[in-house]
Amino acid sequence: MQRQVALVKQSLFDQGYLDEQFMELEDLQDDANPNFVEEVATLYFKDSARLINNIDQALERGSFDFNRLDSYMHQFKGSSTSIGASKVKTECTMFREYCRAGNAEGCLRTFQQLKKEHATLRKKLEHYFQMARQAGPKETARRPK
Amino acid sequence: MTVEQDFVALDQFPVGMRVLAVDDDQTCLRILETLLHRCQYHVTTTNQAQKALELLRENKNKFDLVISDVDMPDMDGFKLLELVGLEMDLPVIMLSAHSDPKYVMKGVTHGACDYLLKPVRIEELKNIWQHVVRSRFDKNRGSNNGEKRYGSGNEGVGNSDQNNGRANRKRKDQYNEDEDDERDDNDDPSAQKKPRVVWTVELHKKFVAAVNQLGFEKAMPKKILDLMNVEKLTRENVASHLQKFRLYLKRISGNQQALMANSDLHFLQMSSSLNGLDGYNHHNRVIPVGNGQFHSGAAAAGMRPFPPNGILGRLNTPSGIGVVRSLSSPSPGGGMFLQNQTDLGKFHHVSSLPLNHSDGGGNILQCLPMPLEFDQLQTNRNMNNKIIAANSMAFPSFSTTQQNSLMNAPNNNLLVLEGHPQASPSSFPGHQINKRLEHWSNAVSSSSSTLPPPPGQNSNIIHHQFDVSPLPHSSKPDSLEWNTHNGSSSYSIPFCDSAAITLSPTLDTNPRAFCRNTDFDSNANVQPGGGFYDSMQTRQAGNYGPATDAMLSNNPKEGFVVGQQKLQSGFMGTEAGSLDDIVNSTMKQEQSQGDLSGGDLGYGGFSSLRTCI
Repeated sequence: MQRQVALVKQSLFDQGYLDEQFMELEDLQDDANPNFVEEVATLYFKDSARLINNIDQALERGSFDFNRLDSYMHQFKGSSTSIGASKVKTECTMFREYCRAGNAEGCLRTFQQLKKEHATLRKKLEHYFQMARQAGPKETARRPK
Repeated sequence: MTVEQDFVALDQFPVGMRVLAVDDDQTCLRILETLLHRCQYHVTTTNQAQKALELLRENKNKFDLVISDVDMPDMDGFKLLELVGLEMDLPVIMLSAHSDPKYVMKGVTHGACDYLLKPVRIEELKNIWQHVVRSRFDKNRGSNNGEKRYGSGNEGVGNSDQNNGRANRKRKDQYNEDEDDERDDNDDPSAQKKPRVVWTVELHKKFVAAVNQLGFEKAMPKKILDLMNVEKLTRENVASHLQKFRLYLKRISGNQQALMANSDLHFLQMSSSLNGLDGYNHHNRVIPVGNGQFHSGAAAAGMRPFPPNGILGRLNTPSGIGVVRSLSSPSPGGGMFLQNQTDLGKFHHVSSLPLNHSDGGGNILQCLPMPLEFDQLQTNRNMNNKIIAANSMAFPSFSTTQQNSLMNAPNNNLLVLEGHPQASPSSFPGHQINKRLEHWSNAVSSSSSTLPPPPGQNSNIIHHQFDVSPLPHSSKPDSLEWNTHNGSSSYSIPFCDSAAITLSPTLDTNPRAFCRNTDFDSNANVQPGGGFYDSMQTRQAGNYGPATDAMLSNNPKEGFVVGQQKLQSGFMGTEAGSLDDIVNSTMKQEQSQGDLSGGDLGYGGFSSLRTCI
């Protein structure tokens, strides 16, 4: 089971969903913070869901306030980076580029992509955490040393 | 705390260091918190900048270091940085996902001691304790220097005015030299050493004129510089001056009570842009801090009751004068700062200071508005003119003082400034105020030996205005004088603060404000009215006048000292950090050194400011 967990995790890295930052977070997990990574991930998804919502609304309004969008995205990018959500981060960067270029269409497209990546990551992480929990607390989110 | 003690304490130091982490992003905050815990620090987190400020204000000694995100919805991270530096004199580390050098530069100019990029790594956090050590170390160094001076200064203090003046002068010079050295050492390596610019009244007038011409909001250092067309003035000088000015205005507007003329108000409102002055030069460190301090001080000081425009009004109103009088009277602290020779020696005025400045910085701030109003005031009534003049004088002196003070400022001031980017404000105001006072006193007390008294009329007016007006007239000589007093100027800040405090318990904004304000400009919030007003009142009151004049002319120091003491008392009361103590003590020492040359007014306040902040 633990091996499976490790495999799942490895695949997340391999597929580029997660990067080294995630590993750093795992390092921070210890007895004092047994579920640290999961907690952070939960926080992240909660926050980012809100941000996505805001951006959605802003885009729907049709008036492309690029500055606003850019600042939302900056925030989003910040937290995605902190958690190591690699693909999401990439999409964020692209979105911001489009914002800076004033490319509304590009923004919309990228945003859809971003939402997709975000949802995918969320599912995968949830799955991962579930497995990890089943595998046993000690083994969860621990990088094989 | 002695240096040894400090270092001993530091041995265990990194462990348990108290950090306040501010970030609106919950995810990042959580991660940061855990990282910091992993480094064995004691962590407090908040996702709101306002809350962070409250926590910090609640007890300045509760934290050793602040880490703050740059982009926050409720308050700009740089603004928070400024305020923390000014008010609390704590090292602040900026955190951001922006790696843009512009932001990093902004962080530096606003006084951040470090700038980290997200995602933060634990290795980086493991070393952040160095900033706390460094700031303490710098403060200690400052105090050590101050002690040297203090010794020589004491003697001067006891002497007659003349002697004091001389002694002060000597001390000041010596101090200036020391300060310069000190400063150089303490100076942030990244800051370039620029020749100090003395913001004389004339210069300030030009500055204000240029700003007016451009429009306050549109005023950019480069344009101002071009308009001013002054040789040897760099963009950085202007930028830093502008920042102070804005802060000053801001304070004034914040205080509302500033006696500033309407135009001032305008400036004040505009000065809300305090936050992001890009023009910060190396003094920025100081400025933001100071400003913040002033701001708070001003508010506290009591300028509150006077709307910026009201400053002038205040001056004119007999009540104001009366108030000043009351201040001038026995004020244990030596109301006007001049009075307490003995105080000078002791610098323990703290108790005597009525400390209007609940915030501690208020007084100074109050002074600041004056400079702004300079132009406008002049057009208005005499008083106004005077005030403006004073302001302008104050202001320029402020900047110069600041600079000087920075250089010369007694250790305390310098230390504060140097050591902590954030801390600088305190020293800053002090210096400036001192300078201003110097000018002012000179102006006021035509007899002042140091500064040529303003023309008769002016002097009269000045008296009335007490702080502000005289300067313009005598600006030239004053500025010269002023510069020399730079050393003492550091005192001025404290002085100003204290002076203000003592002088006008009721006035709050009194001289202290004046002193400070002038220096700060940037501390727009400071209600110049207060400080200025006090000075005015005192002058008018006559009680001070002669005394102050004498004091001013002869012992700027005294006034300064008084102010300081007051300030200190006032401020000290609020803060009781050991670092603060050190700084304060250094400041006191400075004061006693007799560097008070009028300009010192601010100095006294400075310490208070510092602590208060």
